[in-house]
Amino acid sequence: MNKILMILLCSLVTMAARIIPQYISSLEKLPKSVKKAMLLLPTAALGSLIFPLALTDFASSWYAGLGGVVVAFFLGFKRTSMIVAIILALVATLLLLMI
Amino acid sequence: MDKRAIKEGIKDGSPIFLGYFTTALAFGLLTRSSGFTFVEGVLTSLTNFAGSGQFLMMNLYNGGAFLLEIVLSVFFINARYIFMSASLNQRLKDRKSIIGRFFVGAGTVDEAFAVASFKGEKLSYSYLIALMLTSYSGWVSGTAIGYLVGNILPEIVQHAALITIYAMFASLFGNEVSRNVKAIAVVGISAALNSLLILGFDLSTGLSFIISMIISVIFACFIYTDEEVFDNE
Repeated sequence: MNKILMILLCSLVTMAARIIPQYISSLEKLPKSVKKAMLLLPTAALGSLIFPLALTDFASSWYAGLGGVVVAFFLGFKRTSMIVAIILALVATLLLLMI
Repeated sequence: MDKRAIKEGIKDGSPIFLGYFTTALAFGLLTRSSGFTFVEGVLTSLTNFAGSGQFLMMNLYNGGAFLLEIVLSVFFINARYIFMSASLNQRLKDRKSIIGRFFVGAGTVDEAFAVASFKGEKLSYSYLIALMLTSYSGWVSGTAIGYLVGNILPEIVQHAALITIYAMFASLFGNEVSRNVKAIAVVGISAALNSLLILGFDLSTGLSFIISMIISVIFACFIYTDEEVFDNE
């Protein structure tokens, strides 16, 4: 796949979503149900973003992926800053890979 | 140009700078381990300026999804900006400048939107653009430095670095659960459905993602009350 094309098309749809509403102000009056779905979409996406790829990316060492996910989830739940969560998850995965 | 407003924008933007810079480090590292060149990695952040959208793009790209599936998924996950941008537009002090509105629109990201929304007054272009540029510089410089740091890491660390993308999502997930326990049900359905479609039915990563996301968001709309969704804006 042409990576540059992919990057620019993703930029196009993202920037269109941000810039067009500046010129068409009636978008502020979207139905409440549509707004609600838009606001919940990132949460709904999280599950599919993590599973199953976090496990299958590591093939036979799938438990290393799972370990990292569990560590990051727990730290996120404790409201630890995201970078700390990512670094400690990385350490957990690294240790599990070295077993 | 209003110097005082610019200063205030930079001041309000500095915590965002820090958060974006560190998250972008992970993104830069990820683009490297996914086989992107330095230019491709930085170009992604320069042109998209979208945390979850960019991580999603990499995720689907690595999973071998088709171009159309990737672009459609990125649009879905970033569609919330339509509403954020429209809402910021209503709060502009001067709503006439065509160029000013262009930059305010392009810089509408979640954290800048949240910070600007809590400002009591009408917003000037000087303030908003300073706020957004501060956030933007953190995002772009973090990506570049993250990519370069990847060059000096040993191979096993780079393999383990595959986890950074999932760790980011998992920490967001933990955060959502601490705010509202219903997130477990929504994320659980989305995860189970996506796993079933990919592993059980051998569906492509991109299509499976789109289907799982749509079904779980419909489910989410039913179990979350309006107050729970709109109070967190």
